Amino acid sequence: MSIYMDRNDDIGAFLPKPDDNLIVCRCEEITKGEIRKAIHEGMRTMTEIRRFLRPGMGLCQGNTCGKIVKDILARELGTRPAVLEDCTARGPARPVEIEVFGNEAGK
Amino acid sequence: MKRYDLIVIGAGPAGLSAAIQGANSGMNVAVFDENAKPGGQLFKQIHKFFGSKEHQAKTRGFRIGQKLLADAEKAGVEVFLNSVVMGLYENKEIMVMQQDKVFHYKGDTILVATGARENMIPFEGWTLPGVMGAGAAQTMMNLHGVQPGSRVLMVGSGNVGLVVSYQLLQAGVQVAAIVDAAPRVGGYGVHASKLTRTGIPFYLSHTVVKAEGTDHVTGAVIAQVDEKFRPIPGTEKHFDVDTVCMAVGLSPMSQLLQMSGCETTDKGGTVPVVNSCGETTLSGIFAAGDVAGIEEASSAMITGRLAGAAAANKLGFLSDEDFVEVSAQMKNSLRQLHEGTFSPQNKGRTDLTLTDEGIALSDSLFKYGYLSDGEIGRYPGVTEKKVGIHPVIECTQNIPCNPCQDACRFGCITIGKSITNLPIVNGEAKCVGCGMCVASCSGQAIFLVDDDYGDGQATVTMPYEFLPYPEAGAKGVALGRDGKAVCEAEVVSCRVSPAMDHTALLTIKVPKEMSMKARFFSQEVTK
Repeated sequence: MSIYMDRNDDIGAFLPKPDDNLIVCRCEEITKGEIRKAIHEGMRTMTEIRRFLRPGMGLCQGNTCGKIVKDILARELGTRPAVLEDCTARGPARPVEIEVFGNEAGK
Repeated sequence: MKRYDLIVIGAGPAGLSAAIQGANSGMNVAVFDENAKPGGQLFKQIHKFFGSKEHQAKTRGFRIGQKLLADAEKAGVEVFLNSVVMGLYENKEIMVMQQDKVFHYKGDTILVATGARENMIPFEGWTLPGVMGAGAAQTMMNLHGVQPGSRVLMVGSGNVGLVVSYQLLQAGVQVAAIVDAAPRVGGYGVHASKLTRTGIPFYLSHTVVKAEGTDHVTGAVIAQVDEKFRPIPGTEKHFDVDTVCMAVGLSPMSQLLQMSGCETTDKGGTVPVVNSCGETTLSGIFAAGDVAGIEEASSAMITGRLAGAAAANKLGFLSDEDFVEVSAQMKNSLRQLHEGTFSPQNKGRTDLTLTDEGIALSDSLFKYGYLSDGEIGRYPGVTEKKVGIHPVIECTQNIPCNPCQDACRFGCITIGKSITNLPIVNGEAKCVGCGMCVASCSGQAIFLVDDDYGDGQATVTMPYEFLPYPEAGAKGVALGRDGKAVCEAEVVSCRVSPAMDHTALLTIKVPKEMSMKARFFSQEVTK
């Protein structure tokens, strides 16, 4: 699944597009243009894009934008979304207040 | 740490079915669900389901949900609501948020049945209030009794888009149009026909390009797309709507499975690799329902029960013999749902031209959402020019459904062994006009036609699920399959009975030559 991690692949320069100001991640207010630019700056996996720009780090945890970001990444890399890995999944799978997260029952 | 024989994550159709099977086998079962109410999406489904008797066909989805809950309680399943499973870790341990605390539980087996989420496509204005998932609109209407808007543009012509559009109409919301980028209606033809005969247009090979408005949706613009699904400039059309509903597919919510470390693959989203009983590559961790691959509620209940039985067998609660029996039964039941025009192997195909019987599929149904007058005669459920009242079954695609056959006690309707066969109307059998077939058809595709009403008049009896019911003597217009007025019509009767479960039988009187054209009734004069 990681065949598109090769940073030597030339995907061309970032070229602005008319819909670049479209919000993609609503929770963190990240635009399509920012995501496309990040890809051309070297973020070639979903996890890298998440760490770099924070899409999918907000309230919905990528449930809305995850697929859209993947589609954008696939298009920029010239491949299909199905061959790209999702962001690493780890707990907590849902947003939780840190006060609650630290409140282990029975302690 | 509390331990269970089976922990089920998600109290939807798959999870509850698995829990019931497990508990009935003697397992100590806990179900966790993050929502305040159990049932997953079932309680939003107010339409009658397809399938055969064993799939609970012609039963409305929410009633199936009620039955599952009652069965789960009877079986002694512990259901924890408002319980968010945040993690699935090594040794089958789960981390759950309940109220303001974090709890840990261990399962000797675990079933993940977390379902799916709605897809979205971004377009100009898609973040405006008024743009929502079709499932969200359904939640507002069917769970909370709130209209999502007053006039809706539906994006997506799969079964979700079609079913929700119909429910919007039932809730008194106008549906301006149904748009799909694909060149063919994606869902069942019968679902599409229910909408077109009320006058709703389909725009295929079109996509939404803009939602207008500053602080909420005040309009929407669609455009035709080329073969690469790019909008063609100059083809834009505007609609005055306050709501845009997105029914553009679902993605499995498989994060818990991904973090468990089981092998995954891509099937329209990341899904776990599972064996024929739903077990993942991690021994004792199972997946069932939409999280293992998007289907629908009927198959989710089957895969859930199968996984529950497999888990019970694994721990020795269900003998090998009993397991073989349950699993054979479930696999057969699932196979029946996986056949026909909309089978998984036909998904996305646009080259299908014939039914299983070798009859040409309706082009018009795929392109416009209704059967054309010229096509209708070639299907075995349609008999014309018969003397007296008789059923006309406008069922033209091989969908897995057969309640009409059981509904007729007089032998008028035959489907045969395979439930995807097209129904055949036997012209020799005597139809008494009871209308049980009309009410039993989940696709609302059966009409009773009587060409001998006298005075050059005929009657057409149709399924009708809108309130208020028209009264006998009410005058209006009959609409054709394409939703255009074909003639004046008068209501003869509107019959309701408990056995028909809220599908009224509306009988209208039309000129004889219109008996094969009139398929809906409207009291508003539509030109």
